[in-house]
Amino acid sequence: MKNFEIPPQERSRFLWWAIPALIIGVLFSLLIPKPVIGVIRLNDAIYASTAKELIAQIAYARQHPEIRAVVLILDSPGGTVVDTEAVYMELARLRMEKPVITWVSGMAASGAYYLSSGTDYVVAVPSSEVGNVGVIGYLPPSPFIFEDIISTGPYKLWGSPRDTTVREIEMLKQGFYQAVKLGRGDRLKIGPDTLLRGQIWPGSEALRLGLVDQLGSETDAYNRAARMARIWNFDTKDLYNAAIYGSTANVYGFFLQTKEGVTLPYPSRPGLYMLYIPPLPVEQK
Amino acid sequence: MNRKTIFILLALFLLPIILRFAWYFPGFYLPQKIETPDYANLKMPQAPVSTPQPEEIKQTGGIVFADYSHANQFQPGEIQTLSDALARRGASLELNTDSTTLESQLKRASAYVIISPSIGFTADETRIILDFERRGGRLAVFTDATRGLIYSDSFSGTTANFPDSNIVNPLLKSFDISFDNDYLYNLTDNEGNFRNVFFEQFGKSDLTWGLKKVVLYGARSVKTDSGLGLLVGGDKTFSSQTDAAPNNDSKQGWAASALSADGNVLAVGDFTFMQTPFNTVADNNILVNNIADFLLSGRRKIALSDFPYVFNGSTASLLMTANVQMTAEMTGALSRLQSKLNTLSIDMQVSQSAPESGNLVVLGTFSPSEDLTKYIESYNLTLDDASEFIEIPQFGKLGRAGNGLVLFKAGQNGTTLVLLADTTDDLVVLMDTLSGGSLSGCVIQNDIAICSIGFGGKFSTGETPTPDGTPTPAAGAG
Repeated sequence: MKNFEIPPQERSRFLWWAIPALIIGVLFSLLIPKPVIGVIRLNDAIYASTAKELIAQIAYARQHPEIRAVVLILDSPGGTVVDTEAVYMELARLRMEKPVITWVSGMAASGAYYLSSGTDYVVAVPSSEVGNVGVIGYLPPSPFIFEDIISTGPYKLWGSPRDTTVREIEMLKQGFYQAVKLGRGDRLKIGPDTLLRGQIWPGSEALRLGLVDQLGSETDAYNRAARMARIWNFDTKDLYNAAIYGSTANVYGFFLQTKEGVTLPYPSRPGLYMLYIPPLPVEQK
Repeated sequence: MNRKTIFILLALFLLPIILRFAWYFPGFYLPQKIETPDYANLKMPQAPVSTPQPEEIKQTGGIVFADYSHANQFQPGEIQTLSDALARRGASLELNTDSTTLESQLKRASAYVIISPSIGFTADETRIILDFERRGGRLAVFTDATRGLIYSDSFSGTTANFPDSNIVNPLLKSFDISFDNDYLYNLTDNEGNFRNVFFEQFGKSDLTWGLKKVVLYGARSVKTDSGLGLLVGGDKTFSSQTDAAPNNDSKQGWAASALSADGNVLAVGDFTFMQTPFNTVADNNILVNNIADFLLSGRRKIALSDFPYVFNGSTASLLMTANVQMTAEMTGALSRLQSKLNTLSIDMQVSQSAPESGNLVVLGTFSPSEDLTKYIESYNLTLDDASEFIEIPQFGKLGRAGNGLVLFKAGQNGTTLVLLADTTDDLVVLMDTLSGGSLSGCVIQNDIAICSIGFGGKFSTGETPTPDGTPTPAAGAG
């Protein structure tokens, strides 16, 4: 202890150096940003404009080091295949750097579950709706020709043969299944026989089946994200306002609307979808 | 400053940094490798290679009628492959668009095909179809899980489903066959989609001859206790109603096709497999050909009520017995009968002697000649020239005047029709009745028809036959 004693005559001189060093240290410490958990919300179907917004937020999270983890809050029936895959691949890139946690606030069906399966951990509200793994699509018409429209091949007008579309949907389904299998790993407790039935389960049942990891609240999701990112005393930040500049008005209405303005759960355009379409009341005669 | 002081100052500088860091970061997140699906190597499933159609096709001929009068949920073009398969066998497929003509059309049909109807069959139609089947006609019923009729009520927002299985099940009840209101699927082993199901277990029948693998596209399941399951799915083929194997027993399989116990009724829960291009998948084309063979191979018993479609083959001989005179009126009647049979593609030739086989029309009077006897003896008619009546078992006494008799006998070598009347003039009228194309003015009982042909001698349009001329079945005649 004697070795660390400062002679009285040097004490004031020591303080003269020590206080600035401490102050400078404090100032430098402020350069260490407070960790932030980025929040990305999806309360709509996944289609061109929502996917664009999601990708912008994911890019923002990747580019900003203070964002140490991301919580993806889902209440979505899914959407188009191409937009779902685009967002999924961006999420995969983000996960290489930062943990991504899903909180299913209402629904993570079809394409939305595709996204959640590509995150590190899934928290769901017990009564949320989870699953509906599969692809749905409209078959193109059988090809025919018009007198006044000239095309250069039989499928220039129609895209592809009907049978090919059926097989393409099957191929997309295999991709979906691989994504779930890779994302969930050993946590998935059901095989393709059950998973690919396309069933939608409540969150509590989804937990039992291994589709989600925990039942819980938004706070639980943040805490889990913090634990995985190894941060304490974090802030949360809604990335929409930070990442989206200006208006990203929908290019088109994703869902079909009646003349009376009622929105139906069907896509307004033919195509291939990872989308949950709730059943209409059907009476068997 | 000595080194010690410098360390202390450095510690003071780092302290807040370390504290802040520790406050926020208890550890480090290590970047991880993320696996994503191998999109580049995902491949579209390919259809099994089609099996070529059989090379040798037996020319059986015949007419198959397809129901198109019950708002059937198909377009004629969708069964073109079946139509083509029938045509290759010298047969034709015709649509029945008017149910009031069903009875007359089935008289000349080899088989009747019902595809996905959405309007129920009336009791009379059901009777006609059951009678047709009972006499050996073939009946094929196709439903399709994708063809049920759906009505949407935009006002109430409700949707009603009218499955075709509900329409055909009452008809099939007599044959102990029923369709379920479901569809079959297989999630693990399928032809490009879960509802395109492979069938590799087959009931033993000519219908399944040569089949190794068949694909049905959205098929309903079929149940029968007394009949035979023809196309049976594997242990992973489930019904949409239960999401399980039958009775939850994976050793059993769902059948998508069945044959009735008498072998005359075929039920198939799908007809998409017959459509192009699905008929070219696996052994579907063979199945279409087998169905065509089935439709044309019925052993239908021809009855007198089927007139004029009572002849097999394309020729018939006409024999005039000794008591029939070749008057000018008779020549005209022969011409008209010949023309009528020509419209049925039957060539009738007058013959001087009875041919040993083939279709035969015999003309005679109630005063039997020797050459007529052998054709009428089996009917046990009592023909007495001294009496004003003739006696017919099952009918009793019948006035000679104004009545004609048609005796029918169907054999393996051909059909024999014997036309009898009191005089040649009455016989001319009777022949003209037949040339009209039906026996609608006749009382038909088993193999005998009694026809009112006027009022003795010449046909008189203005007078009513006497009561004596009206046939009166004997008590207990059956």
